Amino acid sequence: MPRAVRGLLIECDPSIKSMILKYDEERHDYIVEDLDDEHHLVIKESQLQGLKARLDQDLDEKIMQLDESESE
Amino acid sequence: MPAKRKATDSGRSSSASKRPTPVPDATDISSSDEYSDPDDGDLPEEHNLKEVVSKFSLASFSKRSQVNKTDPRFGYKDLSSLPLKPDHYNRPLWIEPVKGTITLESFSPLAPQAQDFLTTIAEPLSRPTHLHEYRLTGHSLYAAVSTPLPESIRTFIIEFTKSYGKIKMVLRHNHYYVETTDPEMLQRLLKDEVIGPQRIESTEGIIERAAPKMGGLVIPGTKDAAGIRETGNQQEPAAALRDENQEQAMDYGIDDVGEDDNEEATTYSFEIPPAGVEVVKARCQAIGCPALEEYDFQGDTVNPNLDMDLKPAARIRSYQEKSLSKMFGNGRAKSGIIVLPCGAGKTLVGITAAATIKKGTIVLCTSSMSVVQWRNEFLRWTTIDPNDIAIFTSDHKEKFKRSTGIIVSTYSMVSQTRARSYDAQKMMDWLQSREWGMMILDEVHVVPASMFRKVTSAIAAQSKLGLTATLLREDDKIKDLNFLIGPKLYEANWMELAAQGHIAKVQCAEVWCPMTTEFYSEYLRESSRKQALLYIMNPRKFQACQFLIDFHEKRGDKIIVFSDNVYALERYALKLNKAYIYGGTPQNERMRILENFQHNEQVNTIFLSKIGDTSLDLPEATCLIQISSHYGSRRQEAQRLGRILRAKRRNDEGFNAFFYSLVSKDTSEMVYSAKRQAFLIDQGYAFKVITHLQGIDNFEGLSYATPAERRELLQEVMLQNESSADVEQVTDDLFSMRSAGKRGGKRPTAKRSAATLSGLAGGDDMAYIEYNKSKNKQLKDKGGHHPLFMKMRRQRERAAKERESAKP
Repeated sequence: MPRAVRGLLIECDPSIKSMILKYDEERHDYIVEDLDDEHHLVIKESQLQGLKARLDQDLDEKIMQLDESESE
Repeated sequence: MPAKRKATDSGRSSSASKRPTPVPDATDISSSDEYSDPDDGDLPEEHNLKEVVSKFSLASFSKRSQVNKTDPRFGYKDLSSLPLKPDHYNRPLWIEPVKGTITLESFSPLAPQAQDFLTTIAEPLSRPTHLHEYRLTGHSLYAAVSTPLPESIRTFIIEFTKSYGKIKMVLRHNHYYVETTDPEMLQRLLKDEVIGPQRIESTEGIIERAAPKMGGLVIPGTKDAAGIRETGNQQEPAAALRDENQEQAMDYGIDDVGEDDNEEATTYSFEIPPAGVEVVKARCQAIGCPALEEYDFQGDTVNPNLDMDLKPAARIRSYQEKSLSKMFGNGRAKSGIIVLPCGAGKTLVGITAAATIKKGTIVLCTSSMSVVQWRNEFLRWTTIDPNDIAIFTSDHKEKFKRSTGIIVSTYSMVSQTRARSYDAQKMMDWLQSREWGMMILDEVHVVPASMFRKVTSAIAAQSKLGLTATLLREDDKIKDLNFLIGPKLYEANWMELAAQGHIAKVQCAEVWCPMTTEFYSEYLRESSRKQALLYIMNPRKFQACQFLIDFHEKRGDKIIVFSDNVYALERYALKLNKAYIYGGTPQNERMRILENFQHNEQVNTIFLSKIGDTSLDLPEATCLIQISSHYGSRRQEAQRLGRILRAKRRNDEGFNAFFYSLVSKDTSEMVYSAKRQAFLIDQGYAFKVITHLQGIDNFEGLSYATPAERRELLQEVMLQNESSADVEQVTDDLFSMRSAGKRGGKRPTAKRSAATLSGLAGGDDMAYIEYNKSKNKQLKDKGGHHPLFMKMRRQRERAAKERESAKP
């Protein structure tokens, strides 16, 4: 019995994509289809907001780390 | 779908904006109101001082939390709302009262004069195009004179200058004395709990003697020296006149401060042991009356004079003259460090100093190769008799024939404590028994402080001159040099030298290479050591490297590629079929590769590991690509840049040398890279950020273009153990004779596998082919065959020719 999922195509940097892939490994709740190697993914529409927030947070953390080590 | 794109984009752009913009942009300053940016330089000091201070401290307090909100161009110092002084055009200078820094607008018409003065009294911190920053320190104020200044700075200056010249360290007949003209000061020193016990009791106690007289002095090779040659005898009475009139200022720099002590007729001194010199010096510094080390070489009659002079053709450049005038500021030789960029003629400065003093000189350098270079330079620039200059290395142990001369040696030879050979020990004893006029220390930054201690205490030298390009260490040991050698005497402005054509103009660029998805996934998972390997082996970086090499080879550039990581070095070089040198490369192979690089048009690119960082002199190189580096080492960055700084013959418009640093995006490499550049940015270099190399997409034969190839590479990288991510441990440099050998470890081992004999011999349709052939080996083949085979070939050819001619 076929099931329809509302998906969204997103385009991003390779490094961001690998971060999303990493999130997906936990519970397989983000990605519908991995389209190619570099830039494109189809994700579940319902997860978009959550994903955005998570990425923002992680990137901020990363940059905070960088800032700290830079000022030393 | 634009909405989603934004989500990821914002993450990226925020990371980009948080990287500080390297330099104030030229267009920024000219487009905004002419004087709006640096106007904190024109604050009416008296009225607004308090306000500035409070603003400053408050802002700095909350700086960390607010860092994202303020305009990055002004930071926490945005004072643009304050009114300007009406005559602010004539006030290009601002003195920050809290930190003692001085900010100068270098585009002001008054700036050149101010700059000359400021380099005399303060240490340059940062010198980009439009704004220069200097700092007043105790060391920089030794020779400073007072100017109208805020009260805090004034007291700072007075504090440090009032005791200047009161105490001197003197070396007489191989004994160290502390000398002063002021009996009170002497008593104070003797009562001091650190200095007092250092005094040698057995000597006759306090010695009184007449103060030395100062004579006229001319540094050879300068304009004054040329003047003397022209006027001939006329200069003689002038010099005599100077002798009589002590108060008369010399032509060089600011030197009046030290002269007052000549007015008193007697000095008082007591002896200290050689081992105590550093302790006493450090203590004197601590109690606020720094001990000077000056060598009155003209008045020195004990040590024989050395017959040598600069050749008439040798002409030293203006900045070299300036640095030397600091050293010989008052007719005596001061000890200290001169900082000139790589390739700006440090050697000539050392040689001219030696030719000025004209006493026995000992030169210490880092490797046996540079020992030979120094000797040759001495012979090239001066009239010294070749017999008077000797070499002391592991394979040459010479002495000069006559009473005095020059010895060139290495740090390791002199500071070695292990058992020496009989010859070396004899030589060392001889070195220690003598008193030397000057000790020249080449590349002072590389040598650990403990080694210096050994060297400086082992060999008695009247004055010490340190030469370096980068006076900084990540481990902050640079301060020790102040006690071991002396203060920084002169530091050249890199940008100015580049503008005058003394060193090459370099375009610096940082190339951001995105990580591929596979590599970044692994990167997120791995330990930090292996992460390094992943971002170095990033296939996008590899492509960028390949593209840049190709691009510059087509332009006719000679390229050096630096990689600290040996595994990556080997991979890159083999894949791109280029020659490479690392610690394990045998000596003769190194030489062959370097010679080919210099003279062979077929070999335009070499890969070097860390061993090429210093003292490697390849004037041909015009382009430098850095694929991996030693974390955040500013010194390495500057030293590597120095490899391409020698003034280039090719005179293209604009830049004539290129420096690329390849960085994998979104990895810790970005942080290190920003850190590394700090020193060069302070020197005024601007780093251009390249996010995409134009034309790389259409590049023919790009490696790792398909996902399959990349995955293969990733697999290979993942199989490497952690140790291959480590940076190569280097104990020698490119030319040291005692290389390789010891650090074997990685020697190729035999591989065993079962197979039938007929199979291995080719019976089962098996053929051998060599993949990833090293270019190093190919260079070797050009060297020719064994003479026996050459002879056989010649005979065969002759026979063939005879047959040919016999035919018709």
